[in-house]
Amino acid sequence: MLSEERVTESAALSGRASGRLANPDVRDEFGLETLDMNMGPQHPAMHGLLRLILELDGETVVRCDPVMGYLHRCQEKIAENRMYPAVIPMTDRLDYFANMHNEHGYCLAVEDLLEAEIPPRAEAIRVLMCELMRLASHIPSIGFLMLELGAFTPILYAFRERERIQSIFEAVTGARMMFHYIRIGGVKADLPEDIPQKIWDYVESLESHFQRDFVDLIEGNEIFIARTRGVGKISQEKAVEMGLTGPPLRCTGVDFDIRRDYPYSWYPNVEFDVITDTEGDVEASYRVRIGECLQSVRIIKQVLENLPEGEVMADLGRRIRPPEGEGFGRVEGPRGEFSVHVVSDGSDTPYRVHYRDPSFVNMQLLQEIIPGHYLPDIMPIMGLIDPVSGGWDK
Amino acid sequence: MAVTLPEGDLSSRLERYLDGFKNRHGLEEAEVVGDTVRLVIEQGIVPAVLTTARESLGILHLAFITVVDREGSFEITYELLDFRGARVRVKTTVEGEEPVIDSVTGIYPTANWHEREAYDMFGVAFKGHPDLRRTYMWQDHFDHHPLLKSFEISTKRTFEGLR
Repeated sequence: MLSEERVTESAALSGRASGRLANPDVRDEFGLETLDMNMGPQHPAMHGLLRLILELDGETVVRCDPVMGYLHRCQEKIAENRMYPAVIPMTDRLDYFANMHNEHGYCLAVEDLLEAEIPPRAEAIRVLMCELMRLASHIPSIGFLMLELGAFTPILYAFRERERIQSIFEAVTGARMMFHYIRIGGVKADLPEDIPQKIWDYVESLESHFQRDFVDLIEGNEIFIARTRGVGKISQEKAVEMGLTGPPLRCTGVDFDIRRDYPYSWYPNVEFDVITDTEGDVEASYRVRIGECLQSVRIIKQVLENLPEGEVMADLGRRIRPPEGEGFGRVEGPRGEFSVHVVSDGSDTPYRVHYRDPSFVNMQLLQEIIPGHYLPDIMPIMGLIDPVSGGWDK
Repeated sequence: MAVTLPEGDLSSRLERYLDGFKNRHGLEEAEVVGDTVRLVIEQGIVPAVLTTARESLGILHLAFITVVDREGSFEITYELLDFRGARVRVKTTVEGEEPVIDSVTGIYPTANWHEREAYDMFGVAFKGHPDLRRTYMWQDHFDHHPLLKSFEISTKRTFEGLR
């Protein structure tokens, strides 16, 4: 156990106390002080349970300190006390807008340990499901951004699409959100016979009205531009320094996508573009998400056109008992890089599981870019990062 | 200012990284496995090796920091990506019940929250960290570090002998 003295000592070594600091630089010529304010954890516009301690000078934020832990379940400890396959339903509860990606990342890590060969049909189905999941995450995140700016219509359109995708998931996996579909060695079950056609029809219909509902409705809107253009501007260097991944990184112009640069699963067999933008503000992140939705549709169509035949599950035996060692799984989730590190000691349960969730890492940006912005700009900036409570709190 | 990403094909880059680390730090246990450069180093030279990685070799992304409690010592893994297919996995071991290791926040600012999380969950103190507070657990009145193996949960089960 670490005693209080050692914490203070360690902080003192760096020349800064671990407690909060008053900011003497922001007192104006009248000697007025700044105001401390809490935003969240219960706040109608906040993404999940996040508390921001804000220091305000008038309406300008001078310091922002995110406080996490209101939804912390210690998933990593839970995983250490479960058998390997029984961890998969727990990963569903991490980032609950990217369940498929979490399952996929964990299964890749365990399969890395087992050095398992996955049947091609299972790989293709995984990619199909992950891309549908990306649509079901990106479209609502655009809706949430608009809701926070005061526009109610886009969230209705967004959830209409999400409901349709969830119906497909229900038909395939039996559940609307907590799927437990991607398993170690493959997927739970083959696609029902009529589903490939249904998915095809759905993405066709989405393509036909995507422009109208999510681009024409939003893009040129005066209020949208006023609230997002130039807000939350990040430089490329800052984005890389802060370890951002996913749309927040790509909206600054850094051309990095794990699906292309660290290919896994069925992605080497499909063609898609990595969408980037140059502005690095909230509007740019919106444009990146719009572009990625259309790329997801493109990937889904390619997978459906060349869906391989065969088994959907590798034979790994009844008990999963990987040899001693460690495995890594890395996937591109809707919010960025989701990595899993699994350490095995040769028994039935993992010795250690570590999740690197994009929401957690990307949220570091809040401390850096919110100071200097107005209080109402916080919500669009949250829309840029689009964190999910289950993700940053594990 | 624009960021420059590494160029050249994967194998030549991996070679360059391996040579860079070997020449500067005289590392014995360095090898390339697949697309990964694996380094096992002393805890004292972690900041130096990571500085080499970022400043000289241009590996810009620190993906995560993992701590594994080996009961008596702690194994710390730093995973670095160069954005273009190569990985560098730096491993070090910290001995003792109250482990202290140098912080790398000065080299990779993103390490800030990764180290705070590791401190919160394992009690590993990072020397030179600008803001070492708990991320998830209570700041006051909670002296435990839940991911330590010595922190037992009440519903712990064993699966030995189960068929």
